[in-house]
Amino acid sequence: MSLAQDARLPAWPGGAIAGPDGEDGAATGGVRLSGVRKSFGSLDIIHGIDLSIPEGAFTVFVGPSGCGKSTLLRMIAGLEEVSDGLIAIKGRDVTDLDPSDRGIAMVFQSYALYPHMSVRDNLAFGLKMANTPKAEIERRVAAASAILKTDHLLDRRPGQLSGGQRQRVAIGRAIVRKPDVFLFDEPLSNLDAELRVSMRIEIARLHRELGNTMIYVTHDQTEAMTLADMIVVLREGRIEQVGSPREIYENPANSFVAGFIGSPRMNLLKAKRVGPESLKLADATLAAPFQTASGDREEDITFGIRPEHLTVGQEIVDGRSLTATIDFSEYLGGTQYLYCQLADRQTVTVEYRSPGAVKPGDRIVLSWSPDAIRLFDAAGLRIRQDM
Amino acid sequence: MTMTPTALSPTMTAAGHAIEVRPNPANEAAKLARARRKRNGAVAYHTAGVAIVLFFLAPFAIAFLASFRSGAEGMTPPLPPWPTTGFSLDSYRSLDTFGAGVWQHTLNSLIVSLATVVLTVAISLLAGYGFSRYRFPLKNTLFVLIIATLMIPFQSILTPLFIILAKLGLNNSLFGLVLVYVTLQLPFSVFMMRNAFDAVPKEIEEAARIDGARDLKLLVRVLLPLVLPGAATVAIFAFLNAWNEFLAALVLLSSNDNYTMPVLMMAVRAGRLGAINWGAVQAGVVVMTIPCLIIFLLLQRYYMRGLMAGAVK
Repeated sequence: MSLAQDARLPAWPGGAIAGPDGEDGAATGGVRLSGVRKSFGSLDIIHGIDLSIPEGAFTVFVGPSGCGKSTLLRMIAGLEEVSDGLIAIKGRDVTDLDPSDRGIAMVFQSYALYPHMSVRDNLAFGLKMANTPKAEIERRVAAASAILKTDHLLDRRPGQLSGGQRQRVAIGRAIVRKPDVFLFDEPLSNLDAELRVSMRIEIARLHRELGNTMIYVTHDQTEAMTLADMIVVLREGRIEQVGSPREIYENPANSFVAGFIGSPRMNLLKAKRVGPESLKLADATLAAPFQTASGDREEDITFGIRPEHLTVGQEIVDGRSLTATIDFSEYLGGTQYLYCQLADRQTVTVEYRSPGAVKPGDRIVLSWSPDAIRLFDAAGLRIRQDM
Repeated sequence: MTMTPTALSPTMTAAGHAIEVRPNPANEAAKLARARRKRNGAVAYHTAGVAIVLFFLAPFAIAFLASFRSGAEGMTPPLPPWPTTGFSLDSYRSLDTFGAGVWQHTLNSLIVSLATVVLTVAISLLAGYGFSRYRFPLKNTLFVLIIATLMIPFQSILTPLFIILAKLGLNNSLFGLVLVYVTLQLPFSVFMMRNAFDAVPKEIEEAARIDGARDLKLLVRVLLPLVLPGAATVAIFAFLNAWNEFLAALVLLSSNDNYTMPVLMMAVRAGRLGAINWGAVQAGVVVMTIPCLIIFLLLQRYYMRGLMAGAVK
């Protein structure tokens, strides 16, 4: 695709993705935030974010509503002033620049198309504002609408388009600007479920074709997991964890990330450590999956295990199983979710794949392999095996 | 709209078989009654509509017809209000003998009204945008203060206005009159435009800012088309109020040449030595009505939308 090559500006010196010089090399090419804060009056929304986004990465900001992910994105876009800290795009400090001078383009949740202009004018508007020559505008509009297959819509008004078409046009408007960084603010939230899936695939394809840095805000973890090269989990204006989807899912840094990513969510059960290698959960004493140095004293911990890592059986394995009673079950065809209660009334969700029927009230034995367990301390931080 | 008679059409059962439903006498009677009720309803609806239309059109028709009565007829009270001795333009000719001629006064009125419209729209557009989008200290207090001036009867500030204009050397000038009209028109207009801007989603403006539209360019290229209904409403109100305003024009204008149409009409209506030229009065009414009709018909499409803005949302 010719646009893919055009869209990339000449490589910034040292702008290689995660070059040999490590973090700094990665940061110069993409987006770097250092100590970014935002407060409205005395209310702090963003509490100092440090983040390096490598060039070309698809980064997803995810978090519950009100966590500041949209605000952070709008600060990168320049729509929201930065109370403190620095934002750099491609090694250039853009903290106080106008949105149009930052080399960014943004796609809004509500599309935000100009309702009084045709699709063609919507796409061309930014270029016209930048005094781009007419022929160049036409070329770029044609290229963008070819990528998004909106050629036949060019003369319509946004009001005459469906939701999906509008979103394509909104994305097209971002493409024609040839930005260094694409910003997406929950772009699929207004679409219905089916369209959301197809647009998601389309955005992934777009990223592959254009290869630009993209930052995508969503509260939908499916979108986060499927699209991202890098996920940034935010809570209350702080970064909880940064990593690839696999890292985030398999190696959550704390109980918040563990509970937030994954559907149905990870079972986080209250337990007590009673020895260096054992813990007490409900009525059972379990083997801790690894030794920890601080394991001598008794303390409250959280025992985390994902529903798909629990196996349903009848046999009690000493130290690696729990008995539970089924409350109710959801039948989803290929799999069933069993909502169970432990002896101390804590609830556990289990993914049950075998075709055998179970009914509420049944007593079952749940067991697991030791490496499926994630333990968190009283503050919610992950307890890792320390040497 | 004609409906397919359901009683005669085959009805599909759940299983998909078509079964013929035989006409049922009781059903038929009910259907006839329903059709009759519907027809009666339609007749009443349209009769009422026509009556209301006549009611509203009558003053226009009366003035229009009466303005074509011949000279002698024009001197008598307009009963009946249509020409009985043939059409003539005598009334328009005699209207032209008042003041500095009807063209001069129409021109005065047009200058004053259009200038009022332009200034009012320009100022309220900027003020409405500012009140809608910017955060600044005392914003709401200022806004309430502007709206509150609607409560001050204009007549009560006529004397101070006159003195101020005299001090500024603007008495007996059309420009001074325009300034007064704009001032009077602004509270409502600013209120209207703020609502119009409030109804425009913020994201559109933000998208435009990312696209590189700034300040005036942003306002004119992106936002103005979106608040056009509000602006049209403001323009209509400004035009009509300035066009019809009488008291300020009478008090503030002192030379014959500067009079606007309402002041001229006063002179026409007062007559000469007690003899009222009814034909000239009616001709004046027609002349005064035409620009209002033109403006309204031009802008009514936006005007309705402007009044509805923010009503549903």
